Amino acid sequence: MLPRPLQNLITALERLPGIGPKTASRLAFYLLREENDLAEALAQALQELKAGIGFCSECFYLTEAGKRLCAICEDERREAGLICVVEEPLDVIAIERSGAYRGRYHVLHGALSPIEGIGPEDLKIAPLLERVRRGGVREVIIATNPNLEGDATALYLSQQLRPLGVHLTRLARGLPMGSDLEYADPNTLMRALAGRQEIESG
Amino acid sequence: MRLLHLSLTNFRNFTRLALELPPRGVLLIGANAQGKTNFLEAVYLLATFSSFQTHVERQLIHFLEARKSPAVGRLIGEYQRRDGTHRLELRLILEATAGDGMRLRKEALLDGVKRPLSQIVGHFNAVLFAPHMTQIIEGGPEERRRFLNLTLAQAIPGYATVLSEYVHILEQRNALLKQLAAQAGHVAQLDVWDQELTARGAQLMYWRIQALQEMERLAARVHLELTRGAEVLRLMYRPAYEPLPLPVAQISLPLSTPLDRSHLKVEEIREGFLERLRAMRREELTRGVTLIGPHRDEVRFLANGIDLGDYGSRGQVRTALLSLKLAEMEWMRLRNGEWPVLLLDEVLSELDSQRREDLLARVSTCEQVILTATDASAFPAPFLLQSTLWEVKMGQIYPKNHLAEEKEPG
Repeated sequence: MLPRPLQNLITALERLPGIGPKTASRLAFYLLREENDLAEALAQALQELKAGIGFCSECFYLTEAGKRLCAICEDERREAGLICVVEEPLDVIAIERSGAYRGRYHVLHGALSPIEGIGPEDLKIAPLLERVRRGGVREVIIATNPNLEGDATALYLSQQLRPLGVHLTRLARGLPMGSDLEYADPNTLMRALAGRQEIESG
Repeated sequence: MRLLHLSLTNFRNFTRLALELPPRGVLLIGANAQGKTNFLEAVYLLATFSSFQTHVERQLIHFLEARKSPAVGRLIGEYQRRDGTHRLELRLILEATAGDGMRLRKEALLDGVKRPLSQIVGHFNAVLFAPHMTQIIEGGPEERRRFLNLTLAQAIPGYATVLSEYVHILEQRNALLKQLAAQAGHVAQLDVWDQELTARGAQLMYWRIQALQEMERLAARVHLELTRGAEVLRLMYRPAYEPLPLPVAQISLPLSTPLDRSHLKVEEIREGFLERLRAMRREELTRGVTLIGPHRDEVRFLANGIDLGDYGSRGQVRTALLSLKLAEMEWMRLRNGEWPVLLLDEVLSELDSQRREDLLARVSTCEQVILTATDASAFPAPFLLQSTLWEVKMGQIYPKNHLAEEKEPG
């Protein structure tokens, strides 16, 4: 019914997360009518995205194409003996925003999920083991998401890393800051109770 | 516990309904296909978020509304608990999926705040008794697991959450087993899912052991009274993974052997379960599916040592179901500290006059009971005097002027 170029665009937009058929059509028609070269600018940005972005060969965080290491791995001031393992590049940004971490990262690019056909060989696990085997790493902090797939991935990583004799830790689970205890969901409370800590004497 | 107010929008054949509910008994009278059972289903949905009438949940939405996209059905219940009055809203949203299909999504708001369903299931409690539920005793094992899950989720905090995690892990594990069966791969991955599966599985089994033991005690007492001392009713839990150490020679114990598993701790069950999974790994890898665990558990009902599912007469099964439902109601009171709302769908017509009286005498101790019937003639006059009568007609509910016209002359 629609001319092919328009239909192609709608179909492509629909494949984006969070975008359904209606939003896809609306966006496509907007781009068609729009007069300030937005379509051209967008097309150029999209093309440069793939061509201009690469992955750090050490930690697999994002870097500019052609560079071997990302800004974090290049930064000599960051502690090389400390690796924080996360699922996605966005998780790196979240932890960086906290300003509390001065070590390096390792991005797995996913979590174990047999239903989606994602196994250990589809994640950047082998390079992580290689990094640890090379030596100089004193602690690996596992920071996968606190859900079933994240837990399974953390368990798998700990099985693989333990024989290498590195110190393993996992992010604590607890209550969000600034919230009220009475509104916390029971699961979070249960975990927070299980992970309670000694009050340090001052 | 008592339902104070119910409002339904585009639910089944109710386009719009808002009702105050009286305490004690409510009797819904009406011809077939007017909406009596749908009314009970609505109340039951607020307790379990699950329908007892259909597996095709999109039919829950009124058929005219369901032509829209998205279509929305809405149930709002206000109820009195010991800790005060609450308002639970359940939204049924029928929407198009990424493919061509439609799917029904449920959203729940407790006192105006949106919550995950598994967290607030059982905040409002109801026990439902309908004639087709003899399937719990006579039907396949999945009927009994469903009964267990719906009942336990209402009274054991955490049960619904752990169950949904278990089901999710089971899907992941089965997908992995299938992949490993098709092509060799990282078997080490399986260890991870075994850990996750057994942690939740052992917890579910622990809860089922405790609950069934408590419920059996209650059901046996009720049943002995209902049968005037003639039958001893037993609820035999037959878990797919047996946590008790049995001598190999006795693996196929006679069904009636009572086994006491109540002393087992979650951690003990888990260790044994994990060990058993490891022992079965080769078989599971060949079959590509998880062979043991709570998803394959079974419960058998025995009267005087005879398995009612296989050998029970119609009358025996009906009486056993009655005992089970009364026990379920008492068990919930024991656990939650207050009566659930009792829902009886066309139950009296199936019972003889003695059992009718037994049942009505027992349910009158409840805080609130909602019954349906095609006419009021099966109910004894004293019961009718204590109850409110409503007529259900084409998706509307009208107060029914009292007894005079209902009672047979003389």
